[in-house]
Amino acid sequence: MSTPCSDPVALGLWHPLAAIEDIPPSSDQHTRLLGQALRYRKDAGNQVAVFDGDRPLPVTQAYGYVWTCLGTPARPLFDLPEYAEPDRRNVCAATVGVRVSAPRAVENFLDMGHFPFVHTGILGVEPHTEVREYQVELNEDKDEILATECIFYQPQAAAGASGGIMADYIYRVPHPYCSVLYKSCPTDESRLDVIALFLQPVDEETVRAHALVSVIDTQSSDLDIRLFQQTIFSQDKPILENQLPKRLPLDPRAETPIRADKVAIVYRRWLRAKGLQYGVIPAAA
Amino acid sequence: MIDLEAARYLWHPIAASSDLVPRHVFHAQILGRELALWRADDDNVNAWENRCLHRGVRLSIGINDGTELLCQYHGWRYANRTAGCTYIPAHPADAPARTICNNTYPAMEQYGLVWSGESPEGPLPVLSTVDTSFFTPLRAVTVNATSQDLLLPLIQGYTTRLPASDDNRPRYGADTPDAFTIILRVADRSQTGSTPVADIAFFLQPVDAGRTTIRGILCGIDEHNTDAQTLNDLLRFHNRLLCTIRDRLESTLADAPSPAPWIPIIAAVSENQASLPAMSDTGNSTPLRIRVASIDSLSPTVRHFRFEPLDDLPESQLPTAQPGAHIDVQLPNGLVRQYSLINGPGETDHYAIAVKREAASRGGSQALHEQLRVGDLLASSVPRNNFTLRRDAEHTHLIAGGIGLTPLLAMARALHHMGRPYTLHHFAAQDTELLFQSELQAMSGEYLCHVGLTPSQTAATMAELLATPDAHQHLYLCGPAPMLQCARDTAAACQWPEHTVHFEYFSNPEARDDSSAFEVDLARSGLSLNVPAGQSLLSVLRENGVTLPSSCEQGACGTCRVTVLDGTPDHQDVYLSESEKARGDCLMSCVSRARSQKLTLDL
Amino acid sequence: MITLYDYELSGNCYKIRLLLSMLGIRHEKHAIEFYPAAEHRKEAFLAINPLGELPVLQDGELTLRDSQAILVYLASEYDTSGNWYPLQDPRTLATVTQWLCFANAITASAGGARLADGFFHPLDADACRSEAHRLFRVLDEHLWFQERERQDWVATTASPSIADIACFPYIMLSEEGGISRIDYPAIRRWTDRVKRIPGFIPMPGVFPAGPGL
Ligand SMILES: N[C@@H](CCC(=O)N[C@@H](CS)C(=O)NCC(=O)O)C(=O)O
Ligand code: FES
Ligand SMILES: [Fe+2]
Repeated sequence: MSTPCSDPVALGLWHPLAAIEDIPPSSDQHTRLLGQALRYRKDAGNQVAVFDGDRPLPVTQAYGYVWTCLGTPARPLFDLPEYAEPDRRNVCAATVGVRVSAPRAVENFLDMGHFPFVHTGILGVEPHTEVREYQVELNEDKDEILATECIFYQPQAAAGASGGIMADYIYRVPHPYCSVLYKSCPTDESRLDVIALFLQPVDEETVRAHALVSVIDTQSSDLDIRLFQQTIFSQDKPILENQLPKRLPLDPRAETPIRADKVAIVYRRWLRAKGLQYGVIPAAA
Repeated sequence: MIDLEAARYLWHPIAASSDLVPRHVFHAQILGRELALWRADDDNVNAWENRCLHRGVRLSIGINDGTELLCQYHGWRYANRTAGCTYIPAHPADAPARTICNNTYPAMEQYGLVWSGESPEGPLPVLSTVDTSFFTPLRAVTVNATSQDLLLPLIQGYTTRLPASDDNRPRYGADTPDAFTIILRVADRSQTGSTPVADIAFFLQPVDAGRTTIRGILCGIDEHNTDAQTLNDLLRFHNRLLCTIRDRLESTLADAPSPAPWIPIIAAVSENQASLPAMSDTGNSTPLRIRVASIDSLSPTVRHFRFEPLDDLPESQLPTAQPGAHIDVQLPNGLVRQYSLINGPGETDHYAIAVKREAASRGGSQALHEQLRVGDLLASSVPRNNFTLRRDAEHTHLIAGGIGLTPLLAMARALHHMGRPYTLHHFAAQDTELLFQSELQAMSGEYLCHVGLTPSQTAATMAELLATPDAHQHLYLCGPAPMLQCARDTAAACQWPEHTVHFEYFSNPEARDDSSAFEVDLARSGLSLNVPAGQSLLSVLRENGVTLPSSCEQGACGTCRVTVLDGTPDHQDVYLSESEKARGDCLMSCVSRARSQKLTLDL
Repeated sequence: MITLYDYELSGNCYKIRLLLSMLGIRHEKHAIEFYPAAEHRKEAFLAINPLGELPVLQDGELTLRDSQAILVYLASEYDTSGNWYPLQDPRTLATVTQWLCFANAITASAGGARLADGFFHPLDADACRSEAHRLFRVLDEHLWFQERERQDWVATTASPSIADIACFPYIMLSEEGGISRIDYPAIRRWTDRVKRIPGFIPMPGVFPAGPGL
């Protein structure tokens, strides 16, 4: 599973490696990206350097994580302007290893239909299973997918929530292996909480999933926020690790979408149009 | 190397019958292909592709509820036997397209083992050289080796005496009829003392590249006449021996590179499933051939008919139906009539209907009651569902009048089985109309009968039970037109939101007026047609080659629904709700006409 | 009041949560972030358990570490039926203890592979996996013969014992460490039975079972 990656699309992307705050200072750390062993190191000034053997790689430090690129970055890392809002709590929730391809994990992140079955009593509960019609568009200028007007009934929408609400969601897919969601903030109706999932493709069928939570919440502790997100992620894990095949099939006839999967259909089509190969099973020509 | 291609056409044992305990999903694998294997409460064994059609999640982590298998990811439900999807919780108002059906494989039980395969040909293998009057499966042992690797060590393990072996062990002669079967016959029965000796048949199940399961059966031991301890000792003895053979072989193979797994080809889903399906699909009109399997009297006027497919080949299975569905039955006298299916979840080997003999019969119920005999063959449509049951209500009220119980009975059975709260009210003229009473009483929902009420008493009762509207509860109404009208009016007066009120008429009680003439433009096919007075839109469409499904052809069932893009329909049906009629964006092509000069249809 | 020092994603803590729930014992939970913060290795927690391991249970004056020890305590102290830890019957008690030790070996192997793959602990995941398979083979064989004798549980008890609770979590979570259970059908059936014990609760990574017959 560790044949080096030859997919130019994946090689030209920025990939997350670790939460900067989790890196022990001044000691070599090791990880894998696209089948390649990498070394990284944080200096006393919180600057991180990344190496492939002795070759230094480009580095971006953003949204609490260190990012690198194995080839030549095709474009700068996507924007996440909310991260800079002064009253937000930005929390790196955890990095966990999951035996699944990055695109499968992105699709799961975009999926509301599983809430009552997988996040029972938290993000959904039976019999409230309906996924209502929502809007999806591909923004050609920004080259990202946007799903809006998503609504779902949630018994406990966030760490700081008490009681059920009809939660509003907006989903962005600004990067083939990253997605950002905006959802009703239980403590401030005028704002949206942000949860981002950044996937590090260790190889085609394994990821390190990095989560960023950026919320308006003056009550919950960082610990509460992190534990809440860890619970949610760990509930998805047995599903993701039991998807066959592990790579995302781009052939439209491999699986059966329903209207609730509109955003996934657009996502698969978008990956197909990009010619992405890594972590997917390309559609037969 | 084993001949993979040839192995695909063979029957292989993939589990022991005793492995398939109730309400469990066994995780099987054969030639690299994973199967979810489960026994329904009716004892039918299902061998399915271990992959939910929706997002590929293994069904072996799902739930066997006795009648259906539920996927753990989004709760899709797949029916026993047909593997047809019966419910998609994300879209509770839709009946899943009939074509959403998982890949199934044959499954047969013989010699205490479950046999399956990718496309096995011919009958199950028969053991002719050993005594199969009794058989006792050994504990299966899986070895990290190919069946080829295993063949000799297994034979040698049984035929050569090892220094540490049991003295009483019989000597065996081995025979290998094919690459996956070894027959060991006791060579010398005199030496073996009091321990029962038995011939053994071993089947090597090619699980995956480099993984093989040894499934053995002891032949000819009558378990009832054998002391349990003795039998257990014997099973333990063989298990130890097989584990020893396994451990030795694995240690000799320890340095061999592990082979690449076999990647089975998974059939693509059908074309119409690959894109987003429409809100619901009413299906094509290819008729089914069914056989009358039984006719029973439920009351002096009601008979229960059980229809089965012509034979039990998998390809003649009946399409899966959901609660609320009906079939159009072609009767011996040439008439076509709609009957609601009353089947409960997982009852997929037949269609069941209950038909009341109507005094004012239009000829349908009379033909069924008088002319139909067990064994008769009939044609029927595939099940159509225009009265779908949402299962996301906090409470469901089922309100039946007389024989209008039938679709609601199927709904009650489904809700009961899913553990969803419901109440069933049955309005009946007399006690004999209260069908399925003992079953309904035993079920989880509240069951209330209202017998012999006058119209005004009916209205008063209805007003009482519909007094508190609730947007999270749903009403399902079926019965004779006056009772239905009363229920609908009461629900409206009590301010039940229209989206919570669902109803199905037996027939359209209103007189239809087909005296108007109008034009239609078909937006997609580009045709312009004239509908003259005295002819229905549906028949004009059909004359011009536009195929549309239909069923009741009197504006009651909803099958012939068409989307209106422009113009004002003159509805005349009893299927649509008032606000759907007011919206004017669809019509029933069998009875609806136009108020405007012209209609533009999405056809 | 009983306090459980708990990490929700820990199978060892889950053992205790399971038994507390099955016995209906009221308690409080005190969350300790095992990963990534490694709170269990910090001074505040080392004062409670110098081994730096979760779970820890406090009941009044008593502070107990080790999930097996906590199960033994809870069953002996609070189970009025005497079935979960059959103190009255030395032979049965011994089989329960034997499988409690086995559970610890499952934690070290199957649980270790999960820590390595999911939480990046510096453990030899392949070695953990092959040890786990060795143990699973033994358990599957045992449970198959138990079934033949109409015994539903790992020890020779007529109803579930704390040995079942101790073995269950890291078997159920084994796939997170890359350990498939496809070759262990008797183990798979037994996990369904455990999930149907009254009072069963899931944890992230473990789904509940549907109703039994
Ligand atoms: N792929 C991630 C799963 C991440 C994920 O799915 N996150 C979603 C739920 S499915 C989430 O965090 N949602 C938070 C929310 O909706 O509040 C993993 O590997 O663990
Ligand atoms: S993957 Fe099975 S229901 Fe969605
Ligand atoms: Fe999720």
